[in-house]
Amino acid sequence: CSADLENLNENIKDPLSVPGESLFTGAQKSLVDQVVDLNVNNNNTKLWAQFLQETTYTDESNYDQVTRTIPERHWSVLYKDVLKDLDEAKKVIAETTYPTPEEEELKPNKLVVIEILNVYAYSILVETFGDVPYTEALDIDNLLPAYDDGETVYKDLIARLTTAIGALDENKGSFGSGDRIYGGDVAKWKLFAASLKLRMGMLLSDVDPAFAKTTVESAVSTGVFTSNADNATYTYLGSDPNTNPIHANLVLSGRKDFVAATTIIDIMNDLDDPRRSLYFLPTDDGTYKGGNIGETSSYSAYSHVSAQIEEATFPGVILDYAEVQFLLAEARARLFDVGGTVKEHYDAAITASIIDWGGTDADAITYLATPAVNYDLAILASIAGTPWKDIIGTQKWIALYNRGLEAWTSIRLLDYPIMAIPDDAVSGYPNRYTYPIIEQTLNGANYTSAASAIGSDEAETKLFWDLN
Amino acid sequence: QEKTISGTVSDQKGLPLPGVNIVVEGTTDGTQTDFDGNYTIQGEQGQTLLFSYIGQKSVSKLIGALSVIDVVMEEDAEALEEVVVTALGISRDKKSLGYSTQEVQGEDLNTVKSGNFVNALSGKASGIQIKKNNNLGGSTNVVIRGNASLTGSNQALFVIDGVPINNTNTNSKYQGEASGNYYDYGNTASDINPDDIETVNVLKGAAASALYGSRAANGVIMITTKKGKKVQGMGVTVNSGITIGSIDKSTFAKYQDQYGAGYGPYYGPDEDDFFNMEDITGDGNLDLTVPYQEDGSYGGRFDPSLMVYQWDAFDPESPNYRKATPWINAKNGPISFFETPVTTTNSVAFAKSYEDDGSFRLNYTHFDQSGILPNSSIKKHNFSMSGSFKLSDRLSVNGYANYINTKAHGRNSTGYSDNIMSNFKQWWQTNVDLKDQRDIYFTTKRNVTWNPATSDAGSPPIFWDNPYWARYENYQNDSRNRFIGNVSLDYKFADWLSFTARVATDTYSEIQEERRANGSVPTSFGIPDSGGNRGNVDSGYGRRNLEVTETNYDFMFNVQKDLSDKLNLKVILGSNIRRSDFQSIYSATSGGLSVPKLYSLQNSTGPLALPVERDEKIGVDGIYASASLGYNSTIYVDATIRRDHSSTLPEDNSSFYYPSIATSFVFTNLLNADFLTFGKLRANYAEVGNSAPFDFLYDTYNVNIPPGAPSTSVDNQKKNPNLKPEKTESFEVGLEMRFFLNRLSFDMAYYKTNSIDQIFGVPVSRATGFEEKILNAGEIENQGVEISVSGSPVRTVDFNWTASVNWTQNKNKVVGLEEGIQNLQLGDFQGGVTLNAEVGKAYGIIHGTDYTYLNGQKVVDPEDGQYIKTATSDKTIGDTNPDWLMGISNKFSYKNISFSFLIDIQQGGSIFSLDQYYGRATGLYEETAFINDLGNPVRNSLADGGGFINDGVNPDGATNATRIRADRFGAFGYRRGLPDKAFVYDASYVKLREVALIYNLPSKLLENTFLTNASLSVIGSNLWIINKNIPHEDPEGGLSAGNLQGYSVGSLPTTRDFGVNLKLQF
Repeated sequence: CSADLENLNENIKDPLSVPGESLFTGAQKSLVDQVVDLNVNNNNTKLWAQFLQETTYTDESNYDQVTRTIPERHWSVLYKDVLKDLDEAKKVIAETTYPTPEEEELKPNKLVVIEILNVYAYSILVETFGDVPYTEALDIDNLLPAYDDGETVYKDLIARLTTAIGALDENKGSFGSGDRIYGGDVAKWKLFAASLKLRMGMLLSDVDPAFAKTTVESAVSTGVFTSNADNATYTYLGSDPNTNPIHANLVLSGRKDFVAATTIIDIMNDLDDPRRSLYFLPTDDGTYKGGNIGETSSYSAYSHVSAQIEEATFPGVILDYAEVQFLLAEARARLFDVGGTVKEHYDAAITASIIDWGGTDADAITYLATPAVNYDLAILASIAGTPWKDIIGTQKWIALYNRGLEAWTSIRLLDYPIMAIPDDAVSGYPNRYTYPIIEQTLNGANYTSAASAIGSDEAETKLFWDLN
Repeated sequence: QEKTISGTVSDQKGLPLPGVNIVVEGTTDGTQTDFDGNYTIQGEQGQTLLFSYIGQKSVSKLIGALSVIDVVMEEDAEALEEVVVTALGISRDKKSLGYSTQEVQGEDLNTVKSGNFVNALSGKASGIQIKKNNNLGGSTNVVIRGNASLTGSNQALFVIDGVPINNTNTNSKYQGEASGNYYDYGNTASDINPDDIETVNVLKGAAASALYGSRAANGVIMITTKKGKKVQGMGVTVNSGITIGSIDKSTFAKYQDQYGAGYGPYYGPDEDDFFNMEDITGDGNLDLTVPYQEDGSYGGRFDPSLMVYQWDAFDPESPNYRKATPWINAKNGPISFFETPVTTTNSVAFAKSYEDDGSFRLNYTHFDQSGILPNSSIKKHNFSMSGSFKLSDRLSVNGYANYINTKAHGRNSTGYSDNIMSNFKQWWQTNVDLKDQRDIYFTTKRNVTWNPATSDAGSPPIFWDNPYWARYENYQNDSRNRFIGNVSLDYKFADWLSFTARVATDTYSEIQEERRANGSVPTSFGIPDSGGNRGNVDSGYGRRNLEVTETNYDFMFNVQKDLSDKLNLKVILGSNIRRSDFQSIYSATSGGLSVPKLYSLQNSTGPLALPVERDEKIGVDGIYASASLGYNSTIYVDATIRRDHSSTLPEDNSSFYYPSIATSFVFTNLLNADFLTFGKLRANYAEVGNSAPFDFLYDTYNVNIPPGAPSTSVDNQKKNPNLKPEKTESFEVGLEMRFFLNRLSFDMAYYKTNSIDQIFGVPVSRATGFEEKILNAGEIENQGVEISVSGSPVRTVDFNWTASVNWTQNKNKVVGLEEGIQNLQLGDFQGGVTLNAEVGKAYGIIHGTDYTYLNGQKVVDPEDGQYIKTATSDKTIGDTNPDWLMGISNKFSYKNISFSFLIDIQQGGSIFSLDQYYGRATGLYEETAFINDLGNPVRNSLADGGGFINDGVNPDGATNATRIRADRFGAFGYRRGLPDKAFVYDASYVKLREVALIYNLPSKLLENTFLTNASLSVIGSNLWIINKNIPHEDPEGGLSAGNLQGYSVGSLPTTRDFGVNLKLQF
């Protein structure tokens, strides 16, 4: 009577095996979504960079990261939905024997592209938490992975990038249309990897200037982004769930939870920034107004994000040419040997940003001539201890609008512009995400040693690279 | 010729029997014996006296010439040897059972017509916890002897005439976690028609249910259906009843009536006023406008002389278009939204037996219920038929067939968002008049809401729909067609040997359809992604089709032999083959509906989301043996063993054995104590194995909606191909005694059950790339005491009083999880509250933020006067397990009238109220507007003497003296320092659960009619919550049956139900 028993309990509706490429595609989207998102449950950094401000429920504007367990979400998406899927993609692709030699020869490049995204995802984890599980991560036979020292991890990631850059074969393709950023263009991935290496190198410039210098110079010599055409932008689709997450949050939800923040609006107003109308909608009286940080703000009284940002297919950016030029400007300010002058890079960065957002060359020229923007004049006028950090930091921050994570990281590294103290702040300025509560309850011993290794598990604790 | 007859009644030992009923046959004249067994009665020669007494055979004596009639009564072995139905439908003498069972009569479950007979079990048996909720047709949680499984089902198994039936609850996990816009589709045991139930027997422990195998580890509700029996007349019973409900106001919000819409002094040009300035009339001047976008009542103080523009001034079809109206508390608050629920039940049954040939019974019941929310109803048609027929002296056939059609329309949405009850209890403007909302909806049939995004005519809502729009446009419906039936064949080889073969099936198909009309508030709708997130849309249509079938094949040999005068043996050898198949497909539109209000999948604006398809087939083949040896009707020993072969375990671990042994000792047979009529000790030990749920062995991938290219991802759960069966070990002792010829009886049991090697998803650090890993791990221990006492304090010819008490205490402990894992999160709720199984604590403790304490005093921040709460949400702030449960029932009967009532008590247990967490923050409740210690309204600004001082100490130990401002939202709710702990309440209650007054028409009245019996009853249920400690709601308020309890959000108010029922037999 039990002959048919063995045929039961079989899941005939979900696949037992899938192409590794589809896992890569899934992981890539999860990664970009998490970086781009502004949902208060997922990513607060546009609030913390004081680009935006909440209307009624101002908890996150006031640095509350516990109520909605945002660190848990961030951690979980990166490990579970990005790194695990990349890890699986790598395993499956490595084991796959492709039917044709043409497909077979794409394999090495595919594995390297996966490696580059791995590094990108881990770099965000280290930049947001500090010490994180790394050597023991992604192993389901080890339920309670130990944490690794953030700086060691970060330097290892840079080494992995260097290897990856060397391993890419520009004469061959990779993922093709499964890659929603570069359509499988390996040359672009190489530029991306070097630009990422540049960014990661610059992050270490306070804590280990010598290491930073070699890293940055080697990245630049490999070749970094040279124009907006190189930007790492993810192509979204017109319908849920494949739209830009901002569209889902601001349009599909019908909610009116965000207005512009006074911090960025005031600075852009002062500078008469040509990107102002590209970033924001004016209020009814035609002016640009931002809500006070941490205070209840009436939706109708303040500016909102511009129409293009709300578009379903507005591209998701994870690294761009403007940022690269700002990084080069910083590198020159630190006297790294990357060619050009600070001002040249600074001007190129601002121009690239304005053009990329839809402005014109003329807008850029006018803007760069403004005394408060003109690099030489602005440096002289700055009363900051390190004027270049003030001037580059502020302009880089403006250009990184809509890119909360990178803007927040830049603020933490360069310490400019100065963020307002929210009305009802529950902590000092958050220098990191606190560890997920679930790590405290599930992985207690490892959590405790990690917390003491970084100082303490608090929002204000400065991470290893954030000395000032 | 009438004369006086007297005499003495004694038992067979010659002892006088007090309280024996004596009636003159055919009359209502009667009397009782006194304490010495003596009686006197009037009677005529030729009449017959009937002597009756519980536990004794009735005696009839013809009145002759003598005027003294002494009677010796004989013990009625059958009456004392109560027969109960046990596992597999096997009848057993109750005294021979070594385990605890408790019987409830069908009529006691059919008095109150609630649509789910399970609700009526509450308080009527010990050891069982029934938790209904107020959702229309909602699911009821039935847990026997505590939660034993960490993440699996803890629901009792329902069995009809020996055959298990489906009691699935298809509610999603997200419904249980209170994500909004999900429905409670009920549990399918509610399909059982209480009209068909003869008795319910609760098999409590593992020993009682061991023969059912693994699936009965949570105890069994054994239902025996009514059969045809010998009756006077034609055997027809007609039952007709109507029940009308009214809201118990103590279970609904009591609002403050002094302040209206807003969140504080945040409006106007300078953002310091309670009102906005907008040009509403179109004359270019700014008008004083209510902050209509805000869904709270922390706004301006009501003032009838203040004229303001409200939502009703914006729409051209509104009578108040461009008109200002006085700023006042609404005349028709949310309570006026509710309608009077009416339930009618009509049934007709025919039941008869034909001496030696067999018997049959037919029943049809129609049930029709309207809910308290507009546009909601449940209708059921229930047809059943049972029969048995003797083909020969040796061979008989039995059959049972039940077809049920259930249709529900407009079930209430549950959870946090898009739930009208959360709207009313958390996010409401007290100035909004529901009658105006009703009028504008029915006038315009548009979503003209009190909560528009802008003051432009036709503005979409910002947070909440017009509640009438929500009820009449965004309704769901579902229907289920179900067949339950079995056919069995009994063959008697010899007096001592018989064979039974039975095929049984339970199958249903169900459709659930959900709608949102274009123009509604965008809300999460449709198919969730692997993280449970759903896209927000203003409109949509989703449907889920279910096909569920379970088939059981049973073969059983039954041996019953007296080995000697004193030694009796019963043996059962049997096998059970079970196959179940659960299929479902769920599909929903994406991005909204193209053509408004056309509810079809092909009307999707965006490409259809990938449907969710499931096909879960599992099977278990079991063989079992049971032997029962009885000695001299005094000592019994039962042993069983069962082997299951399950399809859900890996092949080399898929067969497992488990034994039980039970013994019963009727010690009164060895004693000679007059007061002690019956006494029995029982003890048992049982093990029950359990296999894994469907698909726990092998990993599969998730397929995503392609973002431009095929996309897949690794599942959140790591499966395990090396599972072994889980095991429950249980031990029980019990004592049953009856005194004074059954006038008083009690039954008590103590048990301890350990469920080990549990198969569940152990939560792991997400850094592993997974959320959980399936393992054999974990142990839960339940131990408890159950006591049932019943008695007849008064028993006379005309007046009887019987009373019974059931008392249950279960102590539950999570003994261990996986090595290194201290806590298992069972559910994650809004408000940062989680439900957990933590090692060393009871299953189902609530975690969240707590106050911080200094020497036992709550610590207050001297800067702002707010409590300082804990930084993390992992503090234990409640335990959902009650300390004990008690049901007290009393029945009084006088001649033809009987009156009964049941009081149901729960002591202890915790419940977190999200309604209070938010609703106090938004200033809805009466607790948020009062005169403070300075004699001023607490909502005055601090400068005007408002605010209050939190009890507690400052971090330096000084008594807190800092006044906290209460002129803006949050002061009394979640927002300003109050931890989750502040919203955890004691879930104890004392309820008058049922009251029934039944009048049986005297037979004299019926003499010349076709009727043989007629009764009229008046029934009340949930009439009075005598005591509770949670304000504004019912402590039983929950979301769904299942393991996630102790969390209340937007639940419907409880209704007091009054019913009238007429029963005619002919």
